[in-house]
Amino acid sequence: MIPIEAVVVLGLLLFAIGFVGVVVRKNLVVMLMSLELLLNGANVILVGLGRHWGSPRGAILALFVIIMAVSEAAVGFALVLAYFRQKKSYDVDALDDLKG
Amino acid sequence: MITLAVFVFFAVLALAAAVLVVVQKNAMHSVLYLAFAVLSTSGLFFTLGAEYLGAIQILVYAGGIVVLYIFVIVIVNLTEIVPERRPLLAKIVLVAVPVGTGIEVAYLFLAKGFPVEARPGGGPGFRALAETLFGSYLLPFELASVLLLAVLVGAIVVARKKNLHDPD
Repeated sequence: MIPIEAVVVLGLLLFAIGFVGVVVRKNLVVMLMSLELLLNGANVILVGLGRHWGSPRGAILALFVIIMAVSEAAVGFALVLAYFRQKKSYDVDALDDLKG
Repeated sequence: MITLAVFVFFAVLALAAAVLVVVQKNAMHSVLYLAFAVLSTSGLFFTLGAEYLGAIQILVYAGGIVVLYIFVIVIVNLTEIVPERRPLLAKIVLVAVPVGTGIEVAYLFLAKGFPVEARPGGGPGFRALAETLFGSYLLPFELASVLLLAVLVGAIVVARKKNLHDPD
């Protein structure tokens, strides 16, 4: 029997690591990868809570989170490709065109 | 007891791989560790009794998203290593705030215990999952398929090479 606290703490840690990756890194591709980690942490918590309550809703919500993550990855990569064609770089600091 | 041991094993693997994804300099190494983290998470889903989600995780993440990442890195030839020019203090703050918040919430959970008692009988089975997904959650499910179609079209339109003289 896995204690629910362990599942929630693990999900929180995964979420925190992914968040650190999104905020700290400056490589666009690695930022997108960290976003996937972050969503994985949320999924772990959802599945754990669904099991805790004996309800299938946790797994269903996690399924929708996965669908959303796939959409985000596909559109994100299309944007990365378009961005790379313009700038020839992945550095997010090159994205300061609208700064005035 | 064995389930708990397997859970801890996969949890340690997932956390280590997640940290390695963030700290790698080379994006291709990050992708490999991401595949590791995703497969460990799928192992966690299996130990948590969500077999369907574990299988979906392997199929969609390890088979789809990770391959997409590898394709993009190869297509755009991501050899340039983006330098991390942030000052050290800003980096420390940016790492400390999310990790501190996570540890705070984790501490609250561990100190007070989870407020809701577990329902006996373990996790829900496949049948309950399918009946709920295609019963109460039918509309979000169909909307998700529309979302995926829109993403398919949108990704092609955005990523396509634009030719101004050719209207298509």
